[in-house]
Amino acid sequence: MTAALLQILLNGAASGGVYALVALGYTLIFSVLGVINFAQGALFSLGGYFTFLLMGGRIGVNGALPGWHLPVALPFWMALLLAAIGAGVVALLVERVAFAPLRRRGADPLLSLITSLGAGVVLVNLLQILMGAEGYAFPAGAAALAGLPEALFIGGARIRTVQVVLLLISALAVAALTLWLGRSRTGQAMRAVAEDPTAARLMGINSGAIIRLAFLLSGMLAGLGGGLIGLSVSLAGPYFGISFGLKGLAVLVLGGLGSVPGAIAGGLLMGLAEALIPSEASGWRDALAFAVLFAVLVLRPSGLLGRRLLEKV
Amino acid sequence: MLRSGGLNAGPSDLLGARRRGSVRLAGAVAAAITALAVMGRSSDPASKPLPATVTVGAAIALTGNANLYGQDQRVGLALAQQWFASTAHPRPMLLQLEDGASDEPSAIAAFNLLIRRGVIALIGPTLSQQAFAADPIAQRQGVPVVAPSNTAQGIPQIGSFISRVSAQSSVIAPLSLDEALERDPKISRVAVFFAQDDAFSTAETAIFQKALAQRGLSPVSVQRTQLADNDFQNPITAALQQKPQLVVISAQAVDGGNLIRQLRELGYRGQIVVGNGLNTPNIYPICQRWCDGVLIAQAYSPDLNTPINQTFRRLFQDANGNSTPGQITAQAWTAYQVLFEALQRLQERGGMDGVTLGEARRLLMKELLAGHYNTPLGPIHFRPDGEVVQGRFYVAEVTMQANGRDGRFRLVRSIDVNTDAGGSTP
Repeated sequence: MTAALLQILLNGAASGGVYALVALGYTLIFSVLGVINFAQGALFSLGGYFTFLLMGGRIGVNGALPGWHLPVALPFWMALLLAAIGAGVVALLVERVAFAPLRRRGADPLLSLITSLGAGVVLVNLLQILMGAEGYAFPAGAAALAGLPEALFIGGARIRTVQVVLLLISALAVAALTLWLGRSRTGQAMRAVAEDPTAARLMGINSGAIIRLAFLLSGMLAGLGGGLIGLSVSLAGPYFGISFGLKGLAVLVLGGLGSVPGAIAGGLLMGLAEALIPSEASGWRDALAFAVLFAVLVLRPSGLLGRRLLEKV
Repeated sequence: MLRSGGLNAGPSDLLGARRRGSVRLAGAVAAAITALAVMGRSSDPASKPLPATVTVGAAIALTGNANLYGQDQRVGLALAQQWFASTAHPRPMLLQLEDGASDEPSAIAAFNLLIRRGVIALIGPTLSQQAFAADPIAQRQGVPVVAPSNTAQGIPQIGSFISRVSAQSSVIAPLSLDEALERDPKISRVAVFFAQDDAFSTAETAIFQKALAQRGLSPVSVQRTQLADNDFQNPITAALQQKPQLVVISAQAVDGGNLIRQLRELGYRGQIVVGNGLNTPNIYPICQRWCDGVLIAQAYSPDLNTPINQTFRRLFQDANGNSTPGQITAQAWTAYQVLFEALQRLQERGGMDGVTLGEARRLLMKELLAGHYNTPLGPIHFRPDGEVVQGRFYVAEVTMQANGRDGRFRLVRSIDVNTDAGGSTP
């Protein structure tokens, strides 16, 4: 009984950690700009493909350059880091193309939902043209984790080591981000922009630079998530990040829009809700997980840890 | 209130005018319909004379989830075209490829496009689910279809112009179970996984579960997954709690490959039997060294020692760096071969002189069903309803190389099966 309960908790934490990582990317952008970057799922895919290529992976027969590969084959950790930076740079590009022009013209923030969605679709299609639609597994697979066992057995429950690593990195990223936002001057500046962009600007904060930084960080988080998921379960085609993006979006709402602790709590709750579903009803997993979302929102419309927005009159 | 004036026509005149107007309108509509029908008929390629060089269209999945199979099929078709073009033949046959993607609307669009371009026959689509949507279109227009990879029940029964060279899974699937049970007769606990949102996988798991029941085994765990799933931690740990000794999987290549890998990573060491969705060398890079030992029943063995299979293997190895062809590639070659040979026989008998494309399609279908073929799959022929009759099937075991990236389906045993009457008794 204890082993079964522990297994459920481990399963929930394993998938919840990934959801939290995806939701954090959304959270950063939302807290600064008050909009959702729908290209986040595509950046997640990009991170996976960047890691694959940097590890020396070859483009498949469906791609634009079949058999082509980078002249380097980096170790997983280095490839992951560079891929995260690469995804962050692309996120900056998305900001330039899909968000900045609308912001300059004072357009309704709602419009940026569409432009970011468009940017995401373009990115995924570019990936499909370049890499083809086939699935890819990382060259070294989980062996990239250098000598670690394939699975860990804890109190009768089992979990793949790669998922533990994924969970630890997610936790580390969340802790670092929380510390940085709370303690560093730039982090405090970001919070100030999130609170009131006009007042922040009057206080001498370069809000443009802060927005770009938010995009860079959210892109890096997405890239990190994509690379880790790629290692854990392979890349199932260019659209694989979109489904994670959708789940991350649900977690964002569940935890409370713009709340960093909310993203973590939402991710873990969503993961746990999925893990609690008995095997006989496994076909209903997604439906039941979203039912939890509905239930929470009905009871608490601002999400688990979201703040109720007060309208000034 | 003025309803009518002195200069206005009376009610009877109005009625007459309306009638005359209606007659004119009806005449105009009839004329337009006739003109459209005549124009349509004259633009319908079926009514035109058969061109000197005929074209066969292939609508296969070059994009989407099923593209792994489509790529294998493209290779098989290209090799067959290259080989048969080099043999003596009275009537040239060209091949036109069209991406049927991995969904039903794309397959329908590809079929329509190829039919409008005037192909004499069609090869495809890749998935059974697509075939149920697209084949009726070819049937209505009298275009012969040879399915290279549709194994679901009821495909040839869609219509008189539909046939397949891929034996249905109800015949093949249970053979690998027998091999697993022979290796370990003490197996009593079986876990079943299947992709619940895939028509083929749900049909195949029903066949597997029926075969298990016939062998006195009831699954201790049945886990439903989805084609887009990639993390199987929940279903696997739920299944492993039941301590299975055999796992049976019906899924497609990417999700199934991931499932095998995660099963092994989570400590499952028992036997794994997989269905036709994983019958492609494309699973090797997904499950890598964890693919090793997986059992699968096949309609093709690269080890079949016949001249045509040796030719096929040699051409494949020349083109693909010494690797071994899989079943889907062999079946695609076979689909091309049966059409090519039927066409040449028809031509040699003078049966295609001065006929329209529509008539040629009908004659080709008749000839196709009447023939016997020596193919890489072994000798095959067709039942009158278009179902393939293949006498020999194989059970293979995936054997991975030390690098964990490349492997092969190693022949374990071949089994003679009587499929002539749709039976499945070995």
